[in-house]
Amino acid sequence: MTEKINLTIDGKEIQAQPGSMIIQAAMDNGMYIPYLCYYPGMKPYGACRMCVVKAEAPTPDGSYRSLPGSPASCTTPISEGMRVETNTDELISLRKGIMELLISEHPHGCLNCHRIDLCGPTDVCLRHVTVNDRCVTCPKNERCELKDTVRYMEMELTTPLTYNNRHLPLEVKDPFWDMDMNLCIVCSRCVRACDEVRVDQAITLKERSGRSIIGTSKGISLLESGCEFCGACIDVCPTGAIVERDYKWDKAEVKTTTTCPHCPVGCQTSLDINKRNKLIRSIPVREAEANQGMTCFKGKFGLDYANNRNRIKTPLIKKNGELVEASWPEALDLVASKLSQFKGNSYSLISSDRGTNEDHFIAQKFTRQIMQSNNIDFSSNTNSEIFDNLSSMIGHSSATNTIWNLLKTDLFVIVSSNITEQHNVLGVPIKQAISKGSKAIIIDPRETELSRFADHWIKPNINTEHILIGGIIRSIIDQSLENHDFASKSCENFDEFRSSVWDFDLSRVSKETGVSQEEIQDLAKTISESTATSFLYSLDTISSEIKESTSTAIIDLALLTGNVENPGSGIYPLFTGPNEQGARDMGCVPNFGPGYSHISETGIGLGELDNACQTGDIKALHIIGNQASISSESGQKIKNALDKVEFLVVHESFENEFTAKADVVFPSSLFAEKDGTFTNLERRIHKVNPALGNKFDEDEDWRILCQLATRMGANNFNYSNSEEVFKELSPFLLSTNDINFQKISQSGQIYSVKRKLKFKPINISLNLNSISSDEFPMILTRGRILEESKSDAKIQLINDKNSITRNEIIELNSQDALNNNILEGDSIKIIGDNFELSGIAHLNGINSGIVSTTQLFGSIIEKVQEHKTEDPMLHFDQLNLIPVRIEKPE
Amino acid sequence: MNFEELKDKADQEWNLLNDSPLPVIRVGTAMCGHASGAFRVIEELKSILSEKKIDAIIEEVGCLGLCYAEPLIDIKKQGQSRLFFNNVTTDSINTIVEEYLINNKIDTTSTLGYLGSEGPNFNEPDLNSLPGIALQERIALRNAGHTSPGDILQYIANGGYGGLHKALSSMEPSDVIDEVKNSGLRGRGGAAFPTGVKWSFLVGSSNPTKYILCNCEEGDPGAFNDKGILESDPHTLLEGLLIAGYATGASNGIVFIRHGHNGPINRTEEAIKQAKELGILGKNIFGSGFDFDIEVSLTGESYVAGEETALMEAVEGKRSMPRYRPPFPAAFGVWGKPSNINNVKSLSYTPEIVSKGAEWFSSIGVNKSTGTAIVCLSGDVNKPGLYEVPMGLTLKQVIDDLGGGMKEHQTLKLLQTGGPLGGVLGPDSTDIHIDFDEMRAAGAIFGSGGIIVGSNEVCAVDLTRILVAFCQFESCGKCFPCRLGMEHLLEIVERISNFESQDGDMDLMKSVGGTMEAGSLCGHGQLGFGPIRSAIPHFEKDFRSHIEDGICPTGSCNNPKIVPKNTRPYAQDFVVGVKND
Repeated sequence: MTEKINLTIDGKEIQAQPGSMIIQAAMDNGMYIPYLCYYPGMKPYGACRMCVVKAEAPTPDGSYRSLPGSPASCTTPISEGMRVETNTDELISLRKGIMELLISEHPHGCLNCHRIDLCGPTDVCLRHVTVNDRCVTCPKNERCELKDTVRYMEMELTTPLTYNNRHLPLEVKDPFWDMDMNLCIVCSRCVRACDEVRVDQAITLKERSGRSIIGTSKGISLLESGCEFCGACIDVCPTGAIVERDYKWDKAEVKTTTTCPHCPVGCQTSLDINKRNKLIRSIPVREAEANQGMTCFKGKFGLDYANNRNRIKTPLIKKNGELVEASWPEALDLVASKLSQFKGNSYSLISSDRGTNEDHFIAQKFTRQIMQSNNIDFSSNTNSEIFDNLSSMIGHSSATNTIWNLLKTDLFVIVSSNITEQHNVLGVPIKQAISKGSKAIIIDPRETELSRFADHWIKPNINTEHILIGGIIRSIIDQSLENHDFASKSCENFDEFRSSVWDFDLSRVSKETGVSQEEIQDLAKTISESTATSFLYSLDTISSEIKESTSTAIIDLALLTGNVENPGSGIYPLFTGPNEQGARDMGCVPNFGPGYSHISETGIGLGELDNACQTGDIKALHIIGNQASISSESGQKIKNALDKVEFLVVHESFENEFTAKADVVFPSSLFAEKDGTFTNLERRIHKVNPALGNKFDEDEDWRILCQLATRMGANNFNYSNSEEVFKELSPFLLSTNDINFQKISQSGQIYSVKRKLKFKPINISLNLNSISSDEFPMILTRGRILEESKSDAKIQLINDKNSITRNEIIELNSQDALNNNILEGDSIKIIGDNFELSGIAHLNGINSGIVSTTQLFGSIIEKVQEHKTEDPMLHFDQLNLIPVRIEKPE
Repeated sequence: MNFEELKDKADQEWNLLNDSPLPVIRVGTAMCGHASGAFRVIEELKSILSEKKIDAIIEEVGCLGLCYAEPLIDIKKQGQSRLFFNNVTTDSINTIVEEYLINNKIDTTSTLGYLGSEGPNFNEPDLNSLPGIALQERIALRNAGHTSPGDILQYIANGGYGGLHKALSSMEPSDVIDEVKNSGLRGRGGAAFPTGVKWSFLVGSSNPTKYILCNCEEGDPGAFNDKGILESDPHTLLEGLLIAGYATGASNGIVFIRHGHNGPINRTEEAIKQAKELGILGKNIFGSGFDFDIEVSLTGESYVAGEETALMEAVEGKRSMPRYRPPFPAAFGVWGKPSNINNVKSLSYTPEIVSKGAEWFSSIGVNKSTGTAIVCLSGDVNKPGLYEVPMGLTLKQVIDDLGGGMKEHQTLKLLQTGGPLGGVLGPDSTDIHIDFDEMRAAGAIFGSGGIIVGSNEVCAVDLTRILVAFCQFESCGKCFPCRLGMEHLLEIVERISNFESQDGDMDLMKSVGGTMEAGSLCGHGQLGFGPIRSAIPHFEKDFRSHIEDGICPTGSCNNPKIVPKNTRPYAQDFVVGVKND
């Protein structure tokens, strides 16, 4: 603990952290100094000059030396014994002088009116304030920092300065955003948030002097300016200049903090609920440790589906081929009696990856105890290969360090992951660290947003990543660059492992992977020289047969270089389900029980489910659905097998292809109606709170299962609330007995695990069943990035909205092009199964057998905006590899 | 090649040039020469010479500072003094060639004077006896007009890089700093901070990478001495940077020049190239083990980029907006490395200070203002120009002796000094000496050396309006008081000059100005009220007459107004229908 610094502010003696600025010290001690451009967590800027103070610091001879002028407290660091005055007459009049200047270009008719919170936009104003100058017509009226500051300063607003409204047209053509630059006070918070915090630099200050204003470089659309639609600029804007378009004018009646249901980062976001019980806004919580005030387009703009009233409102029972509404007892009785006939291995339950820990726990308990089956899995468990060896190699199948620990990382090794789209907020510390000098090695055949941050972007041949990493390991061992003490003393099996890597002869590795030997040696050197390396992998582009080898290789590499739990280093397996960690912890999988306990017999999991349905092994299927899972690969597979199932029960919120085939449908609660816990990828347990409450007759999945269980004769399914379920499940999470369900804060609580480090030999076997076929001999790798400086993308107005139109550029190997008689600039067509893409051929040095395209992230945002009342994950195109063939239209 | 060999070689070439049997024709091609057509004259000269089959050496040299006499050329025949011809045109060059080169007789009314020990060629006066030159003491501009800026050997032959050699071979870095401290040299960028003290801030830092930056943003209207030095003698700056680098332990120098100053940019880049070729820049300079490198960095058109922290932002490739301080540049400068920013003039003095000693330098000048003042004189005087004179001259001497007095039928009304943020002095100020402290006490600053002379035909309100418009246009837009305050000040001054002023406008200006002075982030905002504040006491009558009587005493406010583009707030685009481009 560093020593605190003593200083005096307005006669009050306080203590503050060394290195903090005066304003931060004051705020930490509950004192307020007016400010507009300062924003906690961002670098000080010193533009608004509202926070001016008088300060004097002691000199060695005991006297006090005044700091010259009126320093801004946001840029003046504290020192021992400093004396600060924040409210002298001189300062107050200076502040008022600046505020009068500021108000002279900002609508201010209502700012000091006592009716500001009472008036409606159409009321007749007795003070003759014109409509455009009213605060009541500003979307931020009730939460405007400028207004609060003016009112705190008790301004009279009788300045003789002329009022110059900018009269700029509103910018409303981009998705999700409304910008009214007439309300902008040019504090640059948004520009700094975009640059410093998000490292996107999508928006900037334009022009200068009195004309300086926020905009994009050259006035282009946000769709092509590098915007990732995270809404960080909206969250920091002190006025109504940048706001969310939807429910723009609505006021929040209630604010509830809950966990975002879209990815395993577990962003804590404060949901604004209006008086009609609609979710109107999502504002990420700055104090939350998992996301630290960050969110992404999904968490910011992708929650509106919770307001969609086109829900399944009551239980439905299929009668004469039609689903008809039924009462809860009727449906429950029917299902209970039916399921009694399918006890044992002919029953299978698929839990939702958006289920809470409570849902997962009850789901597996129901399946194992009542239905006496181990056929249980969760809907996003398609990547289990990357987890299975985690517990044997590092002791627990979860990440070894926290998200924001990535800030301390010197070198990122990112294997086949599209982090900024799949786990957006995880990308924030990565981009911040890289912008401060950290390095990144990206191993991915696709171009992703992080590729442009990479020092080494390695594109090995498809499905040879494990060989490449094996080669790197071999090279490290050859050059004796490993962290020998760590590898031999803290990890088991090192000697055996070391002798197993002789297979990875560099010339062979180079031949298989297409990466030169020098480059492999260079990578080995870079990785072993870094003091803190983090390994992140989701292995999106890798065939399931070799996922295990690849993840083994990555963990071996981390162990070899001693990068497990030290500050800045870690192993981060990346899954997609928002509560996938919880599902695993709760044993909602076919191969182990709660708390990773051993079970005698492994059940049928998601991977084998379609087959088991087809063969008749599974007769009764119980799917706790959520919209997004049906668009996934496994969802599509199961869909085809549904007809063979004798009895299908589906829990769902919206009608879809699963509910259409179901015998009984239970209306299920959405994330904003649930009370429970999620566990994020750091093993951080977050609360999910019922922000909206029940809207119809839906219920939480665990309650439905409990009622079924009770009807089927069980007596240990009597829980009155989710807290009781949590109490029962928490012993399975090591050392979480002390977690009080009611007291889980927005920062959540990480449960600790025991580490046991052990090397495992890497299987060098090549994937022989290549994903390409005779019909589709090539593989398409699709990239997606925020901005393309040299693209020919054009923005067109379609229905008054900006939209990207462009000719795709299809990159291919020159030899492949020659074989297909294609020249540079030819129009070509890429054809795959259910897939077609036309574009212009561009020949370059990519590996033979691969074609690749890179689209703008903006185009996916257009799609999400178009279907904004639906789950955004339904419209989110994952960048899988696609087997294709090339055609040249005549 | 060590320094002695280099010096020998340079001396030989220089003597060869001076004893050349061919006539040596030197043409002043700095900014003012360029503007008045020096390059057209050279072209014409070349074609005449080739037509008449005359062999001659044509040298493009810098600027003697006599702007009123440009294009200025001088011709040296073997064994004769240099003969200077002023205001040469493409027409008169033919006569000069015909009469002087071929027939060796000339009408001396077209000549300015001679320079050289050989005495007058005819009966023309000694150039050094001209009042504008006799008062001068050229240190930073010692080579300007005499050597070719494109030839490093000419610089070396004239004592160039001797200071650096002396420092590297016989002085410790701390000795160099002491020498500069003892010389009393104060920064010529405007703030007049002692240069030696500034350098010593950088010495304390243990960071292996440190930068010495040279600021040639020079956006002040009426200031052209930095550009003059770079165009006339870029090596003196490079030598100054090298000495500063040696003294402070810096590893890199960056010369920051405003984009568009093509002459200074090209000549500095050429000079850097030549210095690198001779090993004067790079590793192990003169075998001393001292490494130093210099590069040129450019910015877009922004006056505020001349502010030291904004300059660092610009060097880093960002929008040039000032940073807050602390941390100061000496701790956290360019790319976060310790940095030290000096004006071109300050650095250009140091070679001579090191060569000739601090005592010599401090003997020039008065009081705490040692050395020379490089005055950029412009406005309503007969002989505007760039004059380097010892500190301590009175403004009267500047106007009458250097400037050749006011133009015909005009009397002195005002002096605008130190750039637009400086201040305005009235006609009673001519006894003030050029001395940093004395001028500051009088409410103006010497600043970067610009002195604009205004006659009785200049309207003080209109001049104030133009200065305020400049300051408003050049505000970077970062801090609120400057961004908004300048806009309102301009609006009010415009109201006054349009005879539309409202009650309390004077007080309003003062209150807005007061807010800016106390609240702004950088000097631009803090001094932005300067033009008005310093004009009001001297010319209150002018203001009153505009406000109360609706009359402009000089009548110039009745004419159409010069207004910089894009100074209007957005609202006015729509009101007057002007399209913003």
